[in-house]
Amino acid sequence: MTSLPLTPSSDNGHRNGNDETSGAVNRGDPILDFLDKIRLSAGAAARGEAMDENEGEEESPTELNTTNSAGGFLIVSPDKLSVKYTNTNLHSYDVGVAQANRPAPFKSLTYYFEIFVKDAGLKGKVAIGFTKEGFVMRRQPGWEVDSCGYHGDDGHIYRGKGTGEAFGPTYTTGDTVGAGINYASQEFFFTKNGALVGKIPKDIKGHLFPTVGVHSQNEEVSVNFGKKKFVFDVNGYETSARNKQQMAIEKISIPPNIGYELVKTYLLHYGYEETLDAFNLATETTVPPIVIAQENVMDEDDSSYDLHQRNTLRKLVRNGDIDAAMANLRDWYPQIVQDDKSVVCFLLHCQKFIELVRVGKLAEGVKFGRLELAKFVGLTEFQDIIEDCFALLVYSKPEESPVGYFLDDSQRELVADAVNAAILSTNPNKKDVRHLHSHLEILLRQLTVCCLERRSLNGDQGETFRLHHVLNNNSTRR
Amino acid sequence: MSLFRIFINQLEEDDQEMATSKKVITRGEWEKKLNAVKLRKEDMNTLVMNFLVTEGFVEAADKFQRESGTKPEIDLATITDRMAVKKAVQNGNVEDAIEKVNDLNPEILDTNPELFFHLQQQRLIELIRQGKTEEALEFAQEELAPRGEENHAFLQELEKTVALLVFEDASNCPVKDLLDISHRLKTASEVNAAILTSQSHEKDPKLPSLLKMLIWAQNQLDEKAVYPHINDLSTGQLEDPSD
Repeated sequence: MTSLPLTPSSDNGHRNGNDETSGAVNRGDPILDFLDKIRLSAGAAARGEAMDENEGEEESPTELNTTNSAGGFLIVSPDKLSVKYTNTNLHSYDVGVAQANRPAPFKSLTYYFEIFVKDAGLKGKVAIGFTKEGFVMRRQPGWEVDSCGYHGDDGHIYRGKGTGEAFGPTYTTGDTVGAGINYASQEFFFTKNGALVGKIPKDIKGHLFPTVGVHSQNEEVSVNFGKKKFVFDVNGYETSARNKQQMAIEKISIPPNIGYELVKTYLLHYGYEETLDAFNLATETTVPPIVIAQENVMDEDDSSYDLHQRNTLRKLVRNGDIDAAMANLRDWYPQIVQDDKSVVCFLLHCQKFIELVRVGKLAEGVKFGRLELAKFVGLTEFQDIIEDCFALLVYSKPEESPVGYFLDDSQRELVADAVNAAILSTNPNKKDVRHLHSHLEILLRQLTVCCLERRSLNGDQGETFRLHHVLNNNSTRR
Repeated sequence: MSLFRIFINQLEEDDQEMATSKKVITRGEWEKKLNAVKLRKEDMNTLVMNFLVTEGFVEAADKFQRESGTKPEIDLATITDRMAVKKAVQNGNVEDAIEKVNDLNPEILDTNPELFFHLQQQRLIELIRQGKTEEALEFAQEELAPRGEENHAFLQELEKTVALLVFEDASNCPVKDLLDISHRLKTASEVNAAILTSQSHEKDPKLPSLLKMLIWAQNQLDEKAVYPHINDLSTGQLEDPSD
């Protein structure tokens, strides 16, 4: 008898078995998506987070960079959050400039920071703005190409040359001035003491560092990168920007009753028969009755194919009654289960194992594992998942373990969906491989890709669409 | 060359420049991107549940919870109550509806004078529809006239409604829309929305907004790229760009 490996494999997020294909599994087969979904859960569990939150943590500026600041003209405080001009000359190449330690992160709607003018010194030549890496650190932000700055002495905005344009009020000792980037509108915006001063188009590409400049004796400025509450309500600003966008979106017209259509085809596609019956009854008895265009529902995907059988199988799987599910499949769709090493068989056998562990029948689980699961261990496509699954045996409280996701309801749903997809694929009327995705899913994917692509063409700046966020935050897209 | 000609030539040049500066994404590339999207089944289920709950389909929501394990975001019992109110208005039983709303949450009508006025107005319309002229007038004087005094918009609505009484054949008069069943539905919708809001629930399902967002996102991306569109939401068919 083969001995079962019991240690969980380390990094499941990235093993896709692309190199080797086992005989039973065709790499182009979309049903493999279900295996990948399990891997996503594994990866997320390892990171301790909900799935698909992984935009890749972008780091934010936290303090001033002391290594490249204009030494000799300013000193940076030990906490790296204040600067003071030490020189007495006022030559235009003697500016004391400091940049933040990191550039502004891209993947949100805005970035914002503030300065507080502790002392406007002799001439109040304070500036706030954004510059790029390699900026000439002895010039005010805005005086050089690829930089911008809002200057306190004249209230002008400088956008890459030595002369500025009238922009806003001057600012001096005691004022809090903020500078921000709006990635959606591709603009810089500036604030003074909590009020918006103005905005200009952002025509600089690439990473931008929050920057502060001081240029006369005794000028002293402190910086806030978010550790303290901002004076300007930047969250309110973001919300109103989002609301404006949302209002523009709401004005778009869509076919009437399309929501009902999509829900109906969703229910049909996944075989939620009882829900569908209740839904149909409800739409027929509302006042006025909601008419769902029949020609759209009886589409070429023929979503109502074998609805009752799919519903029966779904119920069995969701109840953990895998033996009955397998029996029905052998009866009704032998072609799905004739290859015992297919993805569907794998998922079902795995699920049976999981159900045994769930009720504590570990000995029986081991026995079953040897009988039906051991054969998957050598196969690249399944190995990582099966090893993690076996790991359930090791824990006294498997549901709290790193592999506890196998015991979640979502795992049962996943297996039910895989069986559903397999049955749909037996439909002789099937024209193409769309049996994995319902209409609703197709539309959501298109929406996601459009937003991602747009952001990518925007220099990867700004928010994108994440369904999970939309569902959990009211009317925001992240 | 005339200035006009120079201008036109410049526009054509700009046009060509714009057309060629857009990124072209082939069907194959686009489909690869589509397949790479990670959508959680649970999230799609939640979206559907949100639709069922907001529309008030209690039985469907209950069955969906059983069949998919998705939890409804509000207590299904509150949906039943809300639907009873909506139905009452749709059937013209406004007094009953008002009673039910107050049972559900007395603050709803207290904090919603416009809604309350519209409900009272609907009650008046129903009295007129039933031919109970005297009762209608009494009701208008006692309940609605005071509201009209407080608010000019209410007064105008009130006058329109009372005008129904003046015509022999109310179904053919200038204000006949008030008698139409659609007015009941409008009022019913208003009540439905107010109840949802009072339960801290959004009054509209999220699904239609997402569909609008899809169209919007495609329009936005059109400025910078050429790629396969979905032009018919009902079929979800990918269509290659026209050129």
